[in-house]
Amino acid sequence: MSISTIQNLLVTGLLRGGLYALMAIGLALVFGVMNICHFAHGEYYAIGAYAAYFAFAVWGLNPILAILIAALISFLAGAITEKALFYPLRKLSKGPWVMNAFLLTAGLSTVLQSGFQLGFGMQYLGITQYWNATVKVFGMNIAADRVVAFGIALVSIAGMWLFLHRTRTGRAIRAVSQDERGAQLVGIDLDWIQTLTFSVGSMLAGIGGASLLSLNPAYPFSGSAPLISSWFVVTIAGLGNVEGAIVGGLLVGMFESVSYFLLGQGWQTVASLVLLILLLLFKPSGLFGTGIKSVWE
Amino acid sequence: MLEVKNLQAGYDRLQVLWDVSLSVTEGEFVALIGSNGAGKTTTLRAIAGLIKPKGGEVRFLGTNLSGVPAHLISRKGLSLVTEDLNLFEAMTVQENLLLGAYSRRDTKKIMGTLEYVLSLFPILSERKNQLAGTLSGGERRMLAIGRGLMSSPRMLMVDEPSLGLAPMMVVAVFEALKLLHEQGVTILLVEQNVNNTLHLADSAYVLEHGRIALQGASRDLLENKYLKETYLGRR
Repeated sequence: MSISTIQNLLVTGLLRGGLYALMAIGLALVFGVMNICHFAHGEYYAIGAYAAYFAFAVWGLNPILAILIAALISFLAGAITEKALFYPLRKLSKGPWVMNAFLLTAGLSTVLQSGFQLGFGMQYLGITQYWNATVKVFGMNIAADRVVAFGIALVSIAGMWLFLHRTRTGRAIRAVSQDERGAQLVGIDLDWIQTLTFSVGSMLAGIGGASLLSLNPAYPFSGSAPLISSWFVVTIAGLGNVEGAIVGGLLVGMFESVSYFLLGQGWQTVASLVLLILLLLFKPSGLFGTGIKSVWE
Repeated sequence: MLEVKNLQAGYDRLQVLWDVSLSVTEGEFVALIGSNGAGKTTTLRAIAGLIKPKGGEVRFLGTNLSGVPAHLISRKGLSLVTEDLNLFEAMTVQENLLLGAYSRRDTKKIMGTLEYVLSLFPILSERKNQLAGTLSGGERRMLAIGRGLMSSPRMLMVDEPSLGLAPMMVVAVFEALKLLHEQGVTILLVEQNVNNTLHLADSAYVLEHGRIALQGASRDLLENKYLKETYLGRR
């Protein structure tokens, strides 16, 4: 393997990984704070993609503005979903929450996908590019869109980290994920934090869908692939672990681009699944998780 | 300050408390004592809004607390330090304390309270940047009490602070409570450690099988024949 191939793999791995990390943080937050195994997360990615498509290609807005609008719309979609579905479930359900909430997300995913079909049809709504330019990285010409998408992912991740660690509301979100009762006792309103968390998680997915619109057009099922990848990331990193999701996202991106190169197209998914199975057998808590024992212990 | 009248509470169909009435006036140090399973923790949970009472009334500073969610009760100035502490284990000591002041906005005053809490528990200021999950049992209790104080509460309820602590640490925690009381904080203390508690509190209620069995000033209770025989092991 020559130096330039390694650089090439590194760059494509990073670009992929940035998106995975962004999606996975949303999943990790929603699981950590609300105990929801979120299987409709991909649909918020699609909402972001649709919103950006309409804002950019139909209304002719500036790309950054289009992505911001997509972020806002996916945030609102998340807020509405939480208030309309998960909030009542939390108040009314006496059964096992994790299972009920999971089933609700699975149903929601189907409903939203059908909704997209109904509203926008089965066609791909894509754009060729946001920016007509290429950027040279390590001597490789990379479409500006990919680099900007990675930049947006990094900025969003850094912004999330600062929000969670440096602000009062961010600390409250972490507090709820660590001890709900403790959070109530210091005066944190669980309902508000849960709605906010779900909305922010959806927004991160929406930003992902919007910023990669030129590579993955909006389509009723366009959220499926990113959903599976981000689940892969959080399973590897340890469920509910935000920092782990960031590192895990970049790792998975690298792993996929390397196995794509070594094994050929189509095999990278097999390689990922083998890795996942091995991990679940030997370290089921994930690389950065604790507390779950493997079958051998 | 706190008035509890004919409180009935429990979990699902299991009723634990029957007609519990008690009152705490401003500046008073009141203890709720009793053996394991008597319903002491349930009483505190019902007052703090963590479980919904089945009947009776809880009034704090004149307002009825029934149906008020726990986070709003805490914001009214009634702070509960639970038996299991409910610390934010993956956060630093400082972050835990700052979250204690979540419902307050005035940064300057919050910093003042933080300094006060750290002076009350100097060990916490040494551990300021350590994760709460890495603290020892005694330090964790102190952190939980410190966090409870950060909201600058009108009244502090503490559940079994001596539980699982080495005797030295029990003394330290009780000393801290005594100091707090002397500085004017109203305290409702739940304890199994009857002897120590009665030497600390102004008055006490004895809970047995979910009912108030005895009540009165601490010094009278210390002389009470029944209490001596049952709880203090003296004749």
